[in-house]
Amino acid sequence: MVKGQENDRLAKIIRILFWPTVIMVLFFLLVPVYIMVKVSLSAPEDILTQHPPFLIHNFTWDHWIKVFESGNLWEPFKKSFTVATTTTILAIMIAAPASYVISRMPKKVKYITILTLFLTRMFPEVGIALPISVKFLELGLLDTNLGLVLAHLAKELPFIAWILVGTFETIPRELEQAAMVDGASRLTALTKVVFPISLSGIAVAAMFVWLDSWNEFTYALYLTLSDRTLPLQTYYYIMRGDWFQSAAYATILTIPVVIVTFFLQRYLKSGYLSGAIKG
Amino acid sequence: MKKKWYAKLVVGLLSATLLLAGCGTEATEPTTEGDNQSQEPTTLRISMGLGESEWQVMKEKVFPQFEQEHNVKIEAVQIEAADLPKKLESMDAAGKMELDLFTQDNMALAPLVEKGLVEDLSGYRDMIPDEILPSLTSVGEFDDKLYFLPYRPNVEITYYNETKFNEAGLTPPTNWDELLNVAKTFKEKEGIGRVAIKGTLDGNTTVHLYDFIRSAGGDPMVLNDEGSVKAYTFLQELYPYLSPDTKKADWNTMNQYLANESVYLGQNWPFGVNVIVKDGGKEEIKAYHGWEGPVKESHVLGGEVIGIPKGSPNADLAMEFAAYLMSKEVQEIFVSELGWPASRSDAYGTVADWQKPYFEAVDQALATAEARPNVTYWADVEKATNDAFREIVMEGKPVKPTLDKYHDVLEVAKNK
Repeated sequence: MVKGQENDRLAKIIRILFWPTVIMVLFFLLVPVYIMVKVSLSAPEDILTQHPPFLIHNFTWDHWIKVFESGNLWEPFKKSFTVATTTTILAIMIAAPASYVISRMPKKVKYITILTLFLTRMFPEVGIALPISVKFLELGLLDTNLGLVLAHLAKELPFIAWILVGTFETIPRELEQAAMVDGASRLTALTKVVFPISLSGIAVAAMFVWLDSWNEFTYALYLTLSDRTLPLQTYYYIMRGDWFQSAAYATILTIPVVIVTFFLQRYLKSGYLSGAIKG
Repeated sequence: MKKKWYAKLVVGLLSATLLLAGCGTEATEPTTEGDNQSQEPTTLRISMGLGESEWQVMKEKVFPQFEQEHNVKIEAVQIEAADLPKKLESMDAAGKMELDLFTQDNMALAPLVEKGLVEDLSGYRDMIPDEILPSLTSVGEFDDKLYFLPYRPNVEITYYNETKFNEAGLTPPTNWDELLNVAKTFKEKEGIGRVAIKGTLDGNTTVHLYDFIRSAGGDPMVLNDEGSVKAYTFLQELYPYLSPDTKKADWNTMNQYLANESVYLGQNWPFGVNVIVKDGGKEEIKAYHGWEGPVKESHVLGGEVIGIPKGSPNADLAMEFAAYLMSKEVQEIFVSELGWPASRSDAYGTVADWQKPYFEAVDQALATAEARPNVTYWADVEKATNDAFREIVMEGKPVKPTLDKYHDVLEVAKNK
């Protein structure tokens, strides 16, 4: 009886605190993004004052126009988009079959394989970026999309394989076996049965890889001389101290991220990754 | 049928992605110099760290003449001072130097020399024009060898918010006593410090510490002499009246603090004029040369130098371009179009009206500018001066014993 009352009280407290907590968390998450957008759309007098207003008082497109007119937007945008998309497609094509095989390995072998995959992720990126970049430069991959795609793949493949192994593990073997009993080959079973079922997990993995590649900075810095990616372009504006154009660039950098996340967010449910955690 | 469709899709995607991935800009093949007129133009690849408007002047007013005279195509890329060593290091290790010439912040030269990434230009001393200010040449010397050529001088100026100073009945400080008084007055009046120095405990702070120590007659490379003791003692006294932004103020954020009026007085490089006044429209932010210490006024000589990376594919042509950058003609373009002070005593130009007071402040500060000593153990020097600042000024430790400790640290570093 007493326990029941305590549970009721707890449920009531949770109910009361739920929305304020959600709103507070959202506020802290969204305010920096709002400020970024606001700076990009505000006249300097709105921002360069001791007490800047929360809302935009003097709206202007000037900073965006300057960015568009600078001639420094489309090429970096195109490069970032090409590299991120290519990296994602190749990563899925390479990692999906590999992860399927790993997921069907005996438990001990699987565990060691996954650990081995993660060995490459255990070193700080700045530490290994130089030797990797030197090798790529020797191969003539400076300022090429291919160089960046390969560098990003080296970084992303272990991660995406880890996610997909978890995804494939959750699919019962009996489904493939049933397909094979019906006359399907192993490849057909994989492409017609396993992959369609695991599409959600693949989408999540693809989204992570795309976002990571889109925002990647270290390899881009080493492997780029004249053709910058968008994060590098934003960085250069920040380094030059132009607050308003930096904010406009940063907002532009964020827009595709929001679009991709919006379309793939329905797959973002914890259950799709739970297998990966089981490892 | 479906199998074929899937196979086609896979092959199609793979081809498309590889095609896309492969179609980046190809790295420029190094070309050899030849007959200027009859051959294809040689590509000279240079790097600089510039803002948009500065690039525009370079591309429209500086490069074309050299390109025409030497049958050259200049391919200029943006590399920030902090990134240049990494880029050169990777190209050098790969044996594929893609740059012919670079300009670099003279505060970031030691790693380039230490890692052997630049050519020794001692044999080219004669090509430095006599009109170049002598202190600019010494900036490029390490152990009596010349590694860098003079390009452009720079010096920190002091920014202040004229409106706030007028409201408080204050004038910009011209010596340490006045500086302390200004800091105290603002703190008492507003309950919060409005004077800032760059206190990020890195190269930004080092510049200020050098100014304070030298203007008290001290030697920052000794660090426990009378002048250094005076400087750190004064900073210890001043610190409680400084703005809380001091701890986060660097070359970038100082502009922001001045522009959003959380700081009314602070020193920074002249590029802040464009950011705060031109782009930000804060015309009440004025500038002057700064204050003097008990012995003299002193400012660290900053700016940029020209370097030739080891393995430059077109080193001879790059040297000709370096000579062109040091010429009277180009230096006058820098003055008139960019408001940069000239590195030559005979280069004059007319700056825009709005820039004039700021340009004068730079000129006056340059008159008392002193080059920083170039030593390969610079990282140790920087750490020692900043650690001493943290312990004495921020944590309130006794001045002399702390400086004695860091003097010993410097001696060890020197004899390493």
